[in-house]
Amino acid sequence: MKKLLLLFSICTPALLFGQTINDGLMMPAKTVCTGFVYSHDQWTNYWEGELKRENGNIGTLTTTAATWMAAVGVTDKINVIAMLPYVWTKASGGTLTPMEGIQDLSLAVKYNFFTKEFGEDKFKAFGALTYSRPVSNYSADFLPLSIGMGSQNLSYRMTANYNFKKKIYVNASAAYTWRGNVELDRPSYFTGGQIYFTNEVKMPNVFDYIVNVGYHKGPLQVDLNYMQQNTLGGGDIRRQDMPFVSNRMNASKAGLFVMYYLAAPKGLAVRAGGMTTVAGRNVGQSTTLMGGLLYTFRFGPQPE
Amino acid sequence: MKNYTILIKSGLVSIFVLAVGLISCDKSIDIDGNLKSYTPSSPDANAGTWRMLVLSSSSSIAVAAPTAVTSDAYLAELAAVKDAQSKLTKEQKDIIEYWSAGGVLRWNQIFRDLVAEYNLPPAPKADNTYPVPDAENPFGDPNFPFANPPYAARAYSYVSVAQYEALKAAWHYKSVYNRPAPYQVDSSIKNLLPETGVSAYPSEDAVMSGAAADMLKSLFPAAVRKITLRAAEQRNAALWAGRATASDISAGLALGKAVAVQVLARAGGDGMRTAGGNKAMWDGLVVNAESRGEIAWVSQDTPKRPPMLPAFGAVRAWNMTPAEIVANRPAPPPPTSSGEMDAEVKEVLYYSQNMTRDRLAIVHKWADGAGTYTPPGHWNDIAEEYISEARFSEVRAARAFALLNMAMHDAAVACWETKFFYFNPRPSQLDPKIKTLTGLPNFPAYTSGHSTFSATAATVLSYLFPQGTEYFDEQAREASLSRLYGAIHYRSDCEMGLAHGKVIGGFTVNNALTDGAN
Repeated sequence: MKKLLLLFSICTPALLFGQTINDGLMMPAKTVCTGFVYSHDQWTNYWEGELKRENGNIGTLTTTAATWMAAVGVTDKINVIAMLPYVWTKASGGTLTPMEGIQDLSLAVKYNFFTKEFGEDKFKAFGALTYSRPVSNYSADFLPLSIGMGSQNLSYRMTANYNFKKKIYVNASAAYTWRGNVELDRPSYFTGGQIYFTNEVKMPNVFDYIVNVGYHKGPLQVDLNYMQQNTLGGGDIRRQDMPFVSNRMNASKAGLFVMYYLAAPKGLAVRAGGMTTVAGRNVGQSTTLMGGLLYTFRFGPQPE
Repeated sequence: MKNYTILIKSGLVSIFVLAVGLISCDKSIDIDGNLKSYTPSSPDANAGTWRMLVLSSSSSIAVAAPTAVTSDAYLAELAAVKDAQSKLTKEQKDIIEYWSAGGVLRWNQIFRDLVAEYNLPPAPKADNTYPVPDAENPFGDPNFPFANPPYAARAYSYVSVAQYEALKAAWHYKSVYNRPAPYQVDSSIKNLLPETGVSAYPSEDAVMSGAAADMLKSLFPAAVRKITLRAAEQRNAALWAGRATASDISAGLALGKAVAVQVLARAGGDGMRTAGGNKAMWDGLVVNAESRGEIAWVSQDTPKRPPMLPAFGAVRAWNMTPAEIVANRPAPPPPTSSGEMDAEVKEVLYYSQNMTRDRLAIVHKWADGAGTYTPPGHWNDIAEEYISEARFSEVRAARAFALLNMAMHDAAVACWETKFFYFNPRPSQLDPKIKTLTGLPNFPAYTSGHSTFSATAATVLSYLFPQGTEYFDEQAREASLSRLYGAIHYRSDCEMGLAHGKVIGGFTVNNALTDGAN
């Protein structure tokens, strides 16, 4: 029972960049956790470069997503994680059309390469590799209404986790994301102070880190987190211009989530949380709320 | 169990291989377009006799005779060229390589860069009004100018015409003075640029740089750094490459600048200064439309924005008289309350609500909205490849862009005259259920600017490059339909715009037929 609970926590909802793999927990071998998370993200103010403003032609921009996810315990030390969101966007102001569609499929391998116990405390370290790519032919050139950025991504992540007396944990995770070029439907574009006579956009890479402090005991997990994402290059949104796919999008976000494992039916957990943007550049000052249902089960012949 | 392990291992290996594969992908992109250096198919040695457009003749601006190539002064200039060539850096070689693709073609790219940079509407102020870009304060917020499609069409035409006039004048003096190029005088000097078949004095590179830079500094004053750096590079490249000496260049620069003065004088009096109109004029447009029983256009920007350049229709055209513009104005659109208009609105709603990925790609390909080089810029982009492939001399390339851009300026004038004569609402004004697949332009619907620009451009380009006629027409139709697919225009806006554009382009082609360049 307790073991199963631990397994759940690996299913962190997709907040940004499909990070589901930044916590300190692993699914044991031959166990699957799968489910859906629904998220609702909204902003009215955004940063045009570093200038915070609103825009009557956008009003409030709402992005909702239903994300399927699954984490598979391949071995006790190696997990494979998959995620696939369906995304809807809409603007309350102006005339721009809402968009929707299947976004990017993420596949990750997470490896718990180091564990050391100190009495009742435990330290763990993880490495993870995530690949993601669009699985529908959506347009990334319709921001802020595009449903995604359109690039193939490869992310390298390291995570360290320290657990005190089997109930309080601190967690720190950082990743470098390599992003492939994006192709537009138009033959030229202007960004970062110059025109490009090509439909191909070089996407700057991204660095992010996230720190968490949490309580985790019995059926309950409560997690406070702070994350910082920096795009390593890219131009600013110019005055009164639309955002562009390769903009320098930076964000600092603070969040909270709660996960609770139901007494019955066995294996079902609910998860709810929220996040707010405290600072940013070329992004919306968004607030995200999310809720999900996740189900865990074992498969195959189980070890003794 | 063993099977699982194999599966896991092969899965991990394939992810690793994928990872390494992606990392080794080359992210570099070619940003300058695919222009290649070429030798002109003809030197067009008689271009000094081609008809002038603004200057009274190709010799109306005096260019003094050069010193003899045997003079001490000239020999000192040759020594400077030799010295420069002996220590060319990688950066200097790259600059020569850049300009070897053709000065006129490169300047056209630079105009498009500037238009894209300055094609941003003013942001609203806290009191929900909009500031007006101020030529006296070009670095302010908003920047000056707002290089929207009419502004851009006019700017492209003036810079292209100035270069064309300046090059014809240069060709005249080249044939008069026949001064050889440095590499022809001194065999130890290498020619690092394509052979042009014309003499060196005055330097065509300097002529172009002077005419273009002075035009652009007037049209895009806040871009003075970008403009003057490029202009200086072009002149330096000519010298470093052994094509021109200091006196070839200074004579060319002076000629180019003198031509710019005359072309700017025409621009100063063409009516652009008052094209923005004023509150009384904007109100009068509403009254006029309503007095005809029509629903008047209303800005759908939030906050409401004054219409874009409502008096641009009164700006002086190049190849059409004001009377010809009125005489060729399209017939009225269906009345806003008619069943015919109702059917048109329904068709737009259909495209709004039944977006396909293919249609969205067409909408985005041709959007050419804020922050881009505009539809006229897009047609310059299309022309570029044809000019380069036809290996036009600099003066013939300048003619091609001048014809194209004069015609598109006339299209802007005639289309704007039509738009503000009828002041017809956009589809999303008549039916708020209509959502758009691209930004909604802030001016009336009838007729479609994209359609007009595109048909005009296709007409001129088909005259210049008959082998491309089918392609140009097909591109123009696609550009036109993109506005219906994008749910910002009715079909009648698009069809009438195409028909109108063809007529407008015909005026320029008619003049070109007898300009001496055929």
